Amino acid sequence: MNQVQRQVREALFWALCGIGLLLLCLPALAIIASLLKDSWPALSLKLLTATTNQGGLRNAITGTLLLALGVLALAGPVGIGCGIYLAEFASPGSAPWLRFFSEILAGIPSIVVGYVGYLVLVVGLHWGYSLLAGILALSVIVLPYVVKTTEVALRQVPSTLREGADALGLPRSTTLRRVLLPPALPAIVTGLVIALAFSTGETAPLLYTAGFTDQDPTLQLLHRPVGYLTAVVFTDIQLPGAQAHQLAYAAAAITLLLLIALTMAGRAISRRSRRLSERMSV
Amino acid sequence: MLPYLQKLASPVHTALSNLTLEPSGGGSGKGIADAIGGTVQMGGSDAYLSDAQATQNPTLLNIPIAISAQAINYNLAGIKDLKITGDILAKMYEHHITNWNDPAIAAVNPGVTLPNQAIIPVRRVDASGDTFIFTSLLTATNAEWKAGPAFGTSVTWPALPGELTANGNPAMIQVCKANPGCVAYIGVSVEQAALSAGLGEALLQNKAGTFLQPTQDTITAAVSAGATNTPNDLRQSLVYEDGAQSYPIVNFEYLMVNSKQSDANTAAAIKSFLTWSITAGATPSNLASVDFVSLPTSVVPKVEAAIAKIGA
Amino acid sequence: MAAANPLPLPAPGRRAGAALRLRALMGGADLSRGDRLLRAACGMAALIPLLALVFLVVPLAISAVPSVLFSGPAFLTGQVFSFGNLYAGSPSLHHGVAAPAGAQYGALPILLGTLFTSLVALLLGVPVAVGGVVLLAELPPWFQRTASLLLELLASIPSVVYGLWGIITFGPLVAKYVYPGLAATLGRVVPFFGGAVGYGQGLLTAGLILAVMIVPIIATTTRELVRMVPVHNVEGAYALGLTPFESLRTVTLPFIRGGILAAALLGWARALGETMAVLMISGNALNVYPVNIYGPVSTMAGTIAVMLDSALTDATGLALHALAELALVLLVVTFLTNLLGRLVVRRFTSTALPIGRGI
Repeated sequence: MNQVQRQVREALFWALCGIGLLLLCLPALAIIASLLKDSWPALSLKLLTATTNQGGLRNAITGTLLLALGVLALAGPVGIGCGIYLAEFASPGSAPWLRFFSEILAGIPSIVVGYVGYLVLVVGLHWGYSLLAGILALSVIVLPYVVKTTEVALRQVPSTLREGADALGLPRSTTLRRVLLPPALPAIVTGLVIALAFSTGETAPLLYTAGFTDQDPTLQLLHRPVGYLTAVVFTDIQLPGAQAHQLAYAAAAITLLLLIALTMAGRAISRRSRRLSERMSV
Repeated sequence: MLPYLQKLASPVHTALSNLTLEPSGGGSGKGIADAIGGTVQMGGSDAYLSDAQATQNPTLLNIPIAISAQAINYNLAGIKDLKITGDILAKMYEHHITNWNDPAIAAVNPGVTLPNQAIIPVRRVDASGDTFIFTSLLTATNAEWKAGPAFGTSVTWPALPGELTANGNPAMIQVCKANPGCVAYIGVSVEQAALSAGLGEALLQNKAGTFLQPTQDTITAAVSAGATNTPNDLRQSLVYEDGAQSYPIVNFEYLMVNSKQSDANTAAAIKSFLTWSITAGATPSNLASVDFVSLPTSVVPKVEAAIAKIGA
Repeated sequence: MAAANPLPLPAPGRRAGAALRLRALMGGADLSRGDRLLRAACGMAALIPLLALVFLVVPLAISAVPSVLFSGPAFLTGQVFSFGNLYAGSPSLHHGVAAPAGAQYGALPILLGTLFTSLVALLLGVPVAVGGVVLLAELPPWFQRTASLLLELLASIPSVVYGLWGIITFGPLVAKYVYPGLAATLGRVVPFFGGAVGYGQGLLTAGLILAVMIVPIIATTTRELVRMVPVHNVEGAYALGLTPFESLRTVTLPFIRGGILAAALLGWARALGETMAVLMISGNALNVYPVNIYGPVSTMAGTIAVMLDSALTDATGLALHALAELALVLLVVTFLTNLLGRLVVRRFTSTALPIGRGI
């Protein structure tokens, strides 16, 4: 093969890679821009003050936040506990299995979680469409992410710290609380932020567990459906009338803005934690 | 059903201050199942309970609170007020009539130059009361359809190459608008949107042989004709009724309510809402917002009798 | 290379050894009360994922039993998926299971619809992700940071928003400007790409949107893999006079091939189980095969979401069981794809695979 052919092939390959990179970077911008453009006329203060049957999103926004907080309260401690066990206590024999179960759980399609939630919680246990059914379904989906970020965060703590604590004869719980958790905390918080983001954006697991209502959500756990943003996107785009469609756009835009904010927050925290751990390992 | 209940939520709270109506989304199937399962107090549905479901759930009442209808729309440039029959529609969805210049269509449209264009039938993919009443008409007018798919909120549609589906009424309009040659069934609550999208509204042949479009008058005529023999359990199809001016695709909008409620207060609240919804609540402006029609006076006593059965 | 290193490895190993010995001296019994309490609590938490799996699989399997009895293998080979005539006609018994008249649950078109939409997504997504990341690795750090931010944003966009964008913007756009061109060129050679291009909802649109959705997980994994390629090897390739592309082909790609395969499998599992976006833009054809690549299809996840409402009107309840069987099949397929991905990664590389959406 001569030199010219080589160069042509070289240029061709990198040109194709360039197209690939363009296709990698453009969709996020395209989606966000087109959604903000479509929803711009629908964005107003009324969205925050009126409920969904009055052309607002108040109940859906508070419902989404309530569901996300519930997930945080449930999947947070369980996931962190599970992550701590994997990083600090599990025997070499059991750790791969426990990790595997969590990974497999992460791969289960969200609609399957929603369907089983309907069968078992809503109908089987007679909970009805309810806050708790929605929180449980979402928690199952985000749990593996909390587990994974916690375990990775603890493993990234420099081993010198752990050894130092051991040499001092500190009990494990003290080591964990005073030595390991502080440097790992930012990364764990990032995991929780991811969990928040995913529970804000999910629809399929909620349709038949949380139900939907135009009323403001309450703290009642059972027998009372909850409204949430993504349901408005899915339902109102199918309803007649420009008004309903505007509401769907607005709900999509607000969901997206929430998620962008959470993603940015997650990045900021993890960047700080990386700097912290770099400083410590020097 | 949902848009109407959402419309009622505010006036009912004004009229009966101790009541709050909390409508939630979902199709007819969810409405029926939720009422059976007790996850809601009243389940909205365009379709009445099937015999099997009625036998299984003897305490579940079918309470109509309004009347709705359905238009047949099509996308053919320059052709307005096309005439069509239930039989022709059935044959379109059975793939027996595949082109708009078919002799059967020409026979009912004398003087109209029909284009040589493939027919694209559109159907709903979700469980829908619209599918229920549309397939009821096909069942009433075409023997092969009656023996085959028959009617329901979702049926075994004959497999058509090139058929299209839509999820929800607005999507029906969107799909039909995007596909010249389409034919679609669309609830009257969104008919204005269909017309402004440039779709034609067909004149549909009724049992007496007249070709009609859905209007307040033709819908009311069909209801009056059907109301003479409404059964006490109120499970009745209003499709393809007698009468020269009766529009052929009309239906009751139901709320499914369990006659055995958990406590007396709930029962009383449900009764007062239902009574309100068929009397003071059924104002022309409430109904017109979704192009519904109020219940005929001859049916109201039977509905009131059904409401009276609700107790603790 | 490490084996060729003549110097004995110093400190780290020994320090770790010392710590281990210390702990052994203290002994398990010496764990303080607080320690044991903590271990017990965390141990219980560690069992929750397994518990969740059991609570997902067992009810689903039980609920699927009547449908399995009724349909047998026809569930996987049958062409017609129908809840039957729920209004006229009375239920009848088949294999001891009461079914509405005319009910049959043949999910083959749905299975194939799921398979093909996800394959289209893979065929488009993998080259884009790998090619893009390979180029990205050569670019300045600020650009890499920006690109990774965009990828993270892409991963965080909810499914339903993808669906909305697909219905309103993307579908109509490609149907108007891209598909006609594709049909006029490629369609002349491959008939499956020819014919009517529809209105932007169908197999290709669903595949394209799915490709965008799985690109983050594949790209993130590939980026980690590229970082792991030993610098010496690449430098050696350059020293031999190879061009960047040649060094990529002969050094980097063989090194990361297994990892890319694993990432593709993970992306595939995600595409198979994706619900809302596909439901909104796949066209949801039932019981028919698409006439060309633009035609409507339906997928398992979308069918479960959209048919649940109808299923609830079935007085015999069999329709719900049939959907449970569909969910079970979906669960098994995604499980196997995930498992395969993880096995592949263990075989070829030591990198940790991301989970779910690519964390």
